[in-house]
Amino acid sequence: MTHTDFHIHHDAPEVVGRRERLGVRLLIVADGAFLFGMIFSYFYLRNLNTNNGWFPHGAHRFSAASGWVVALPFIVAAISHRIGLVQRALARTTTVVTLLALLVGLYLQWHQLAHMPFIIHDEGGGFSFNGGYASSWVLLAGANLFHYILGGFIALGLVLRHGRTQVDPTLELWRGRTAGSWFTWIAVAAIASALVTSIV
Amino acid sequence: MTTLVTEQHARPVPNPKKSLITKLNMGTGVILGALFAAITYYLIRHSLQTITDGAVDPLNPNQNDQLLIATMMAWSIGFLIGIGAFIGPFRWLIGRDLTAEEQLYLAGDGQGIKRYFKYCTDHKVVGIQYLVGVMTMLGVGGTMAMMIRTNLASPGSKFITPVVYNSLVGLHGITMIVAMIIVATGPFGNYIMPIMIGARDMAFPRLNALSWWVLFTAIPVLCSAWFLGGIPTGWTAYAPLSVQAGAGMDAFLMTIIIFAISTAVAGANITATVVTMRAKGMKWNRVPIFVIGSTISVALAIPAFPTFMLSMIMTGMDRSFNTTFFDAHMGGSGWLYAHLFWIMGHPEVYVILLPGVAALMEIAPVFVRKPLFSFNAAVLGFAGIAGLSVLVWAHHMYISGWANNLNGPFMITTEMISIPTGLIFLVLIGTLWRGKPWMKLPMLSVFAFIWNFLIGGITGIYLSDVPADNYLHGSMFVTAHFHFTLMGAALTGAIGGLAFWYPKMTGRMLNERAGYISFWFVQIGFNVLFFGMFVAGAEGQPRRVADYAHQFATSNLISTAGAYSVGIGMIVLLWAVIHSWRHGKIAPMNPWGSKTLEWTVPYPVPLENFDELPVITSDPYGYGKGK
Repeated sequence: MTHTDFHIHHDAPEVVGRRERLGVRLLIVADGAFLFGMIFSYFYLRNLNTNNGWFPHGAHRFSAASGWVVALPFIVAAISHRIGLVQRALARTTTVVTLLALLVGLYLQWHQLAHMPFIIHDEGGGFSFNGGYASSWVLLAGANLFHYILGGFIALGLVLRHGRTQVDPTLELWRGRTAGSWFTWIAVAAIASALVTSIV
Repeated sequence: MTTLVTEQHARPVPNPKKSLITKLNMGTGVILGALFAAITYYLIRHSLQTITDGAVDPLNPNQNDQLLIATMMAWSIGFLIGIGAFIGPFRWLIGRDLTAEEQLYLAGDGQGIKRYFKYCTDHKVVGIQYLVGVMTMLGVGGTMAMMIRTNLASPGSKFITPVVYNSLVGLHGITMIVAMIIVATGPFGNYIMPIMIGARDMAFPRLNALSWWVLFTAIPVLCSAWFLGGIPTGWTAYAPLSVQAGAGMDAFLMTIIIFAISTAVAGANITATVVTMRAKGMKWNRVPIFVIGSTISVALAIPAFPTFMLSMIMTGMDRSFNTTFFDAHMGGSGWLYAHLFWIMGHPEVYVILLPGVAALMEIAPVFVRKPLFSFNAAVLGFAGIAGLSVLVWAHHMYISGWANNLNGPFMITTEMISIPTGLIFLVLIGTLWRGKPWMKLPMLSVFAFIWNFLIGGITGIYLSDVPADNYLHGSMFVTAHFHFTLMGAALTGAIGGLAFWYPKMTGRMLNERAGYISFWFVQIGFNVLFFGMFVAGAEGQPRRVADYAHQFATSNLISTAGAYSVGIGMIVLLWAVIHSWRHGKIAPMNPWGSKTLEWTVPYPVPLENFDELPVITSDPYGYGKGK
């Protein structure tokens, strides 16, 4: 055996592609469990409302629309990528749109995190979060931020790889579909987060 | 089972001289990890420090936690960069995929012992890395256990201080839990399983290496807990105690977060491998039972561990950023932590248990030369346990008062688990029934498992019962119960697996005499140790206490004597493993006459396992059916 027939070349690109997609979907299951845990925590604390501390009297919060503002770029990215998979001629454009949408979303989420209205500053320069809602919100926002960073990495890779001659086109198509699974999932996760944070 | 004969060919050793891959190894990982950690520590400390009247103020506890968590994260990321874990994703990003030559180099072909210290993608190398890692963890955790038992040998002992005792209990717990989770799926799931299903490698070889090296980065993080004040909370790390504990807690929660990432990656990899890479003709009813059990186990871990990770992230946020998830004054709840922890925590018991049991189910037909009794019942048992395990978590919270009305339903779901567990016993006993066992070391583990797991299972029914649990909760009885389950069953299964697959993994036979001595020291000592603990617990001795009343003195002394016996047995086993690896009798290709695929390949196993992929035409347990 020489290096040219090493195992990666034993399997057809379709087989490798399907395998990779399954792997990503299994990781989505793990990420889904994580999201479930966050949503569970949100409603658990909300319904328990210990010492009326879920949303203390006089506390500030984001508007219900804020979650949707952040979710929108996820949705645009997922749809754009899906169009690119169907209309291969538009693939380069849609991949760039996907990347731009995710970058915009990343900025929006970062901006929200940098301007949270429910931080309580103390005299010593420290701070704390005002209640269960505030804590749960920042957790969900952090997860969105993580999704934007990871999605952005994948989208950047797809943009940079587009049209490169040494990339196997069949395998690349499968990887596009695999990326599509991830983009769809992070859009669903963002919608779920937006729905949840709409219910204060 | 029909297989094609494999042969080894000499192959050219690649040398992609210009590639960075060749320069990276564990040493560069450690250097870059330490460098990243040091720089991060310096920069964050500098940015957090305030100067008042010309003097530098010390950091407040929250800032200290931020500093430590960031430093530990930097260590992990730096190490992974330094060992080359991110070369593949980076090259993918810029559209210059790794060449076949580079991939072959990453697989460690022709690199001898050096490949064990590199980011090597060969599943067999990863399996050996896991084996050595697990043995090290068991050694460290076992030493802590010996110290704990020595302190408990007599009331009023001053062998260790109560503070050190508390830390030891926590560190012993988490070290052993991590070790037990990977004890079978790590070494055998990586080394043996791909060969068992007729695959050339894992589905994602780079992710496979990543799962090990990510876990490796957790080792110094966990060790640092000792120097940061220890883990005074026990391995369950209940909030708000864990939020208020000292800096050692940061090390604990970072360990869990890192471990959960490793587990998710490994789980996805193993599952994808088994689903998509089985040999031609290997239908689901022809898949070896060890593969089935391990796959169900890791598939269960995929959704279970993220909630554990989440609980740790929330604890870290409460400690570092003053969120209030577990602060009852500010809308938080300690119950939330308990839910998140045990939603993972109970399935985790079965994540540990199933691969060990499945290994013994693999062993039993070989050594009684009979087919596995009802393959379908075994699969149903595994699936039933996995399915029910996600519905029982709150039996750990009966006396917490969170929802007394739900204690009944959770009691029923918990007790229902004894039904699929009964199927497991049925399959094993049915396989042994009227057989003439070949009483070699692996087979002894099967009998030990049946005895130990019977006791672990029956005492579990007592604890699942709400009235009984009201009395026994938090007592030594619980400690004895879960050790019978995890150590008596799962670890016994893993040791049986080690004795069984040792010849394939090392090319040598495990020293049988030493193995027998070890077996009897461990099994007798184990039963003495934990029967003593059952008695102490039933009489009311609480767990996790450094001292106890005189009325428990006899049972504790007996337990400690048993612990020393286990310790001696484990040292003998360790000696046997190390000595046999170098000086053991050369193993034939198939010393046990097994029919599964791993025994059809020679040692050392070729890089891609099979020159030509096998074709499967029958089930793997056709013993007594002629050729």
